[in-house]
Amino acid sequence: MNQEWDIAIQRTINNNVPRVSKILKEHQYILELAKKLREAKLKILSNLEEYIEQTLESVKRTGGNAYFVKDPSEARELVGKIVGKGKIVVFGKSMVAYELGIRKYLAQLGNEVWETDLGEFLIQLADEPPSHIIAPAIHMTKERVAKLLKEKLGFDVSENSTHEELVQKVREFLRNKFLSANVGITGANAVAADVGSIVLVENEGNIRMSTVVPPVHIAIVGVEKIVPTLEDALNEALVQAAYAGLYPPTYINVTSGPSSTGDIEMKRVSPAHGPKEFHLILVDNGRIKASKDEILREALLCIRCGRCHLHCPVYRVLDGMWGDAPYTGPMGAMWSYIIYGDGKPATYCTHSGNCKEVCPMKINIPKVLEYIKYLENKKQS
Amino acid sequence: MLGKLIYENLQKYGFPYPIDKHICSSWAKDIPKQSSTILYTSCMYQTASLSEIYSKFIPYAEKLSAFSFLGKYIKPKKEELDRAYKILNRIVQLLKRNGIEFGYLYEEEPYSGAILLELGFLDEFSAYAKSVYKFFKEKGIKRIITVDPHTHNALTRYQEFIDKMDIEVVNYLELIKDAKAISDITFVVHDSCLYSRFLNLRDKYREIIEKSGIKTIEDELVTGNDTAFCCGSPIKPINPELSDKIAKARVQQLTKLSNNILVVCPMCYANLSKHHENIKDLTEVIE
Ligand code: SF4
Repeated sequence: MNQEWDIAIQRTINNNVPRVSKILKEHQYILELAKKLREAKLKILSNLEEYIEQTLESVKRTGGNAYFVKDPSEARELVGKIVGKGKIVVFGKSMVAYELGIRKYLAQLGNEVWETDLGEFLIQLADEPPSHIIAPAIHMTKERVAKLLKEKLGFDVSENSTHEELVQKVREFLRNKFLSANVGITGANAVAADVGSIVLVENEGNIRMSTVVPPVHIAIVGVEKIVPTLEDALNEALVQAAYAGLYPPTYINVTSGPSSTGDIEMKRVSPAHGPKEFHLILVDNGRIKASKDEILREALLCIRCGRCHLHCPVYRVLDGMWGDAPYTGPMGAMWSYIIYGDGKPATYCTHSGNCKEVCPMKINIPKVLEYIKYLENKKQS
Repeated sequence: MLGKLIYENLQKYGFPYPIDKHICSSWAKDIPKQSSTILYTSCMYQTASLSEIYSKFIPYAEKLSAFSFLGKYIKPKKEELDRAYKILNRIVQLLKRNGIEFGYLYEEEPYSGAILLELGFLDEFSAYAKSVYKFFKEKGIKRIITVDPHTHNALTRYQEFIDKMDIEVVNYLELIKDAKAISDITFVVHDSCLYSRFLNLRDKYREIIEKSGIKTIEDELVTGNDTAFCCGSPIKPINPELSDKIAKARVQQLTKLSNNILVVCPMCYANLSKHHENIKDLTEVIE
């Protein structure tokens, strides 16, 4: 086993696993919310295309732009058109943007692009794939982070720097980027079909800044993130935060179209202080097909809490590199198949079953992986 | 294709790979052949130590039929076989002491099909399960007592592929009401994944352990129901290296708590034993 990984993952497990159990014990209503969320999401997934239409309409009603794209090349082309060239772009955290290769594409077009989630920022600097769905730099120890910041950006830090000192340095650096950015790009934890709002949950404040400070906000979201109502979307934020182990979350952001005001004679005008443009891009890339398969559909319920990873023996001994980036761990073994058609990660499942015990959406992950193995076996015969 | 090959071996040898069937049945004496309730080993305890050798041949699977002669030569080591036979006889004793009557099919005992299921060969598993079920029905079997988690899991899943399955499947752990510890050693339990998280039997064997007087050491992050690692065995045919890494990591975790490891599955025993000596099957420490 890679020694750095072993130290980093052990620290993470010790910090996170008991904390999530404690949160769930202390806030039992989360369990009820998770149950309700599963039902709400299943409702969407059994009729996904109709809800996509409804969501696009709802976003337009708020004054936002809404699009549906089928694959990475359509997505890149569209984002490229909205952003243009020579801009400063800040990314809140978006795994879908990673899936579609948006950051690298915008950089190629001649834009200055910065990941602003600390973990994403670190893997951008290191040019490494993310190792965990919500903590992408989970494989780096504090000492490695210090070395990276010093080497790549010349920060005055050393391996003796504290966690706080390292975060402070990045904060200073990124603050200027936020203030000068032309475009903010985020994902979303949930999209409310009824009103067209997106909900984002976070702790760093980088998402709040990315969605409010630059004049243009683009949210790139997988279609499986649609939920029936804004109530469901807010529930998803709470459930995700609790199972990720940071509860209460520091920020829950709701965005419904561009900023506006009605303060002069109650005439609603846009923009006010926040973005003047809001764009929602709903992405298919294999999701709709999966939603039509009774077993694969379960994988689309995933709310990206990252809990299954920390309970999985395979993820742990494979140094976090199980699955196709950004989709790692047990959820990643399912998603590698759905997005990239790669069934190999599924064959590595030892059916320990820990993942299904801890999943807030009660996804029977080993069963989904068994089914993917079956589909792969059939393909080969 | 691996699934087809295993399926063909099952037809030819009654086992996923070539094997001398005497190995499976020689442990049993004085158990009646005819009975509506049978003790069912699926030859798992007897051959657990061979899975290591055979998984090495999997990359050459296509040519494996050419290895059919291996069955004559590859046998478990004598001490491993003796241990397995002793364990099976202890299970017989434990069941008898708890008033359970049963028969055993000796060399006619079929394999459960577990490996097909676990590797995702569901069509092959379905066809095989149907043939085994038919065989059981022809033998007039109404109740099957399993002794390991992989077999128990495979048999309980027959019902997904067989209409109105009416053979009862029960695990020996569900039938043992009373057992005593034979020494006062303290253990750390390495739980079986299938028993714990798929078959709802974790409480059953943990109750037997507790009632017997065996002391165990627990740690939320090592022996918890949703944190305990797998032994790595199920992945062995696909990736022996990964399987071994998991086994090694598991032994490291467990030995931080105790040098004495207790298991309830022959595959866990085989895989973890490569990295540690003091491993006991539950049946070796109770009577
Ligand atoms: S599969 Fe379940 S536990 Fe894993 S990240 Fe998704 S919601 Fe969380």
